[in-house]
Amino acid sequence: MEYIRRLFAQNRDIVADISKHDPEFFSKRAGKQEPHFLFIGCADSRVPIETLTGVAPGEMFVHRNIANQVRSVDLNLLSVLQYAVEVLDVEHVIVCGHYGCGGVKAAMGDQSYGLVDHWLAGIRDTCVRHEKELARLGDDERRFERMVDLNVLRQVHNLARTPIVQSAWKRGRRPMLHGIVYDIHDGLLKELVMQVDGNDRASELLTTQRGSVGD
Amino acid sequence: MPTMVGSAREDAPAAVVVFLVALPLCLGIALASGAPLFSGVISGIVGGIVIGILSGSQLMVSGPAAGLTAIVVSAIATLGSYPAFLMAVVLSGGVQLVLGALRAGAISYYFPSAVIRGMLAAIGLILILKQLPHAVGWDHDFEGDESFVQPDGDTTFTAIGHALHAITPGALLIAAVSLALLIAWDTTGLKRLKLLPGPLVAVLVGVGINAALQRSGSNWTLLAEHLVQLPIASSAGEFFSFFTLPDFSAAARMDTWRVAVTLGVVASLETLLSLEATDRMDTHKRVSPPNRELCAQGAGNVLSGLIGGLPMTGVIVRSAANVDAGGKTRLAAILHGVLLLLAVVAIPALLNAIPLASLAAVLLYTGFKLAHPRIVRAMWGQGWKQFVPFAATIAAILFTDLLVGIALGLAMAFAFILLDEVRFECFTVTSPPGAVLKRVQLQEQVSFLNKASLAKLLASLEPGDRLEIDGSSCRVIHHDVLEHLAEFRSQALQRGIDLRVVGIDLPTPPPGH
Repeated sequence: MEYIRRLFAQNRDIVADISKHDPEFFSKRAGKQEPHFLFIGCADSRVPIETLTGVAPGEMFVHRNIANQVRSVDLNLLSVLQYAVEVLDVEHVIVCGHYGCGGVKAAMGDQSYGLVDHWLAGIRDTCVRHEKELARLGDDERRFERMVDLNVLRQVHNLARTPIVQSAWKRGRRPMLHGIVYDIHDGLLKELVMQVDGNDRASELLTTQRGSVGD
Repeated sequence: MPTMVGSAREDAPAAVVVFLVALPLCLGIALASGAPLFSGVISGIVGGIVIGILSGSQLMVSGPAAGLTAIVVSAIATLGSYPAFLMAVVLSGGVQLVLGALRAGAISYYFPSAVIRGMLAAIGLILILKQLPHAVGWDHDFEGDESFVQPDGDTTFTAIGHALHAITPGALLIAAVSLALLIAWDTTGLKRLKLLPGPLVAVLVGVGINAALQRSGSNWTLLAEHLVQLPIASSAGEFFSFFTLPDFSAAARMDTWRVAVTLGVVASLETLLSLEATDRMDTHKRVSPPNRELCAQGAGNVLSGLIGGLPMTGVIVRSAANVDAGGKTRLAAILHGVLLLLAVVAIPALLNAIPLASLAAVLLYTGFKLAHPRIVRAMWGQGWKQFVPFAATIAAILFTDLLVGIALGLAMAFAFILLDEVRFECFTVTSPPGAVLKRVQLQEQVSFLNKASLAKLLASLEPGDRLEIDGSSCRVIHHDVLEHLAEFRSQALQRGIDLRVVGIDLPTPPPGH
C-alpha cells in the first residue's frame, strides 16, 4: 500500500517542480497530439524510454509487450500501428530491444513459464534459424546479446511486411523503420538498422552481413 | 411498336386533322414572311411527304415555321428578291446535310429536360393566347405567330383586348360549339370512334354552322376574312406558275451564304428541339435519331427551295395535334403532305369554307393540353432547380419569341447545372475526423468544373496542416486541376503545409508566376 501511495506523492512533487519552470507545460500539450515516433519496446521495467530520450509528453506513441514482438496476428499491436501510421502520421517507427531481456532468455532455454511460452515461439524460431552462427560464438553472454539483436532485426522485418506499412510505402517513403537496442548496463541506445523506408531496404535486412536475420 | 400498315386506321384520321391545322398555319406563316402565300403550302407539302419518308421520327410533323419568319423577312430584303432567297434556302439544306453528316445532332442530348417541357408549355400558352382573338373573329395577326410583339403592332395581350371589343358573334358561336364538341369527344365514350377524331368533327360542324347561317341569310354569317383563304388556280398553267425556281446566280454572293448558314443552323436547332419535345409526347416512348433528322430536313429544304417553298423545320403545334389526334407512325405526316397537295389541286374552294374560329378551337384545346396545370404541378414537384428553368423558359418565350425564349431558358438551365457541378465535391475524405494527416481520395473523374471545390480545400489549409491527395483511382483529371495542384504544392513547403499527392503525376508549373 505504501508503494502505491508513493506514486501519487512523487507525481505531485514532479508536477509541482515542472509547473514552477513552465506553468503551461501540461495545458499546452492537452490538445491534439502529433507525435513523430511510434516506439515498440519491451515491457521490461528497466527500459524507461521517455526518461532515457528526454521526449516530452505528446512526442512519442508507445507500445510495449514482452520481448518487443511484432506479430501479424496481434490485434493490439496492429491497432496501435494503424492508428500511429494512418491517423497520427508518425514519421518514425522504432523497434527497441534490450540486453538482458528475460523474454529472449526464456526462449533460448528449455524451461517452461506457462502462457508466455506461446508468445515467445517466434524467438525460438529465430534461435533455430541461427543455430550455426550462435554456436560459433563461444560464450553464453555473447550468444544472448546476439539473439537480442537478431530478434530486433526480425521484428523490423515483420513490421515492414505488415499491410499497414506496405500500403503506407505505396504512398511515399514514410514511415521510416528503425531497429535499435538498449544496453541496460551503460544506459546507451545502439543503432542496429536505420531508415528502412521501402521494400528494397527491408529485404536487405535478410541479406546484409551485419543485420543478417536469415541463414 | 405500331407499324405503318397496322396503324393506318389511326394515322389516316390524324393526318386529316394535322392537315386542317397545317393549312392555315402554312398560309399564315407565308403571309408573315412576306413571301408568296403558296410558298408556305409548298413547304408544308415537302415537309410532310419528303421529310415524312426520310425522317426517323414517327410523330414529328415538319413544315414552315413561325420561328423562322423574322429571318426570312430580313433575308428577302437583304438578298433583293424571292428567287435569290430560294437559293439561300437550297444552300441552307446543304448546310443541314453537312451538319447531319458531322453528327451535330448529338447536341440535342444536351437540351435540359426542364427547358423542353417549358417550351411545350409555353407553346401551349401561346396557342391559347394567340388563338383567342381568332376564336372571336379578330383575324388581324397571321396564323401561327409565336412572338409577343406582333407584325400588326399589337402584343399578345393588347390583341386579346382588341378582340374582346370587336367580337364577331358568328365566330364566337362556331368556336364555342367546336370547343364543346372537342371536350365532349375527349371526356365521353365518343373518343372510341377512332375514324372520326374530335378535331375533324369540330371543323366539319363549324363549316356546317356557317353554311346554315349563310342559307338563313343571317348577318352572323362569316365573311371570307374569317375563313381559310387558299389561293385558287383557275387553270393548270396558273397552278404551275405558283412554283418558282431559285435564282442560281445568287449562290455567287457572300450574303446568300450568310443567310444560308443562319437558316441552316437556326432551322436545325428548332428541329432538334421539336424532335426532343415530340419524343417526349410519344406514348410509345420511341427515340428519334437526331442526325438522320438533320439529313432529312436538309433534303427537305433543298427540295423546297428548288420549287419555290419556304424553309422548314420540325414544328411542335402540328406534331402535338398529330399526337392528340391519335397519329401512331410517320404515315400520318406523309398523308398530311399528300392532303395538302391534293387540297390545293382539287378542292381549294371547299377548304375556303372552313372558319378560322373552328381551327382556333382545335388549337385552343391542343394548347390547353400542352400547358395543362398537371404538367406545371409535376414540374413544381421536381424541386426548384427544375422548376425555375422551366418557368423562366415559359416566361421568356411568352414575352419574346420561341428562339430568344429558348436561348434564355437554356442559359438559365445551364447556369443551374454548372452551379451544381461547381459545388459538387470531387473528393471523399477517407481519414477519420481529427486525424493529423487528412486524407482525401479523388473520384474517378475530376473535371474543370470540380477545380473550385479542390481549390477551396487547398485554400483552407493552414501552416502545420498535413494533407494527402490520393488520385490513384482517377481515370481523368482536367489539366487545369493538375496545374493548380502543382502550383500549390510548389509553394506549400514555404507555407509550412505538408501536401502529399499520391497516384498522379503533376506537371511542372509554368514559369513566370
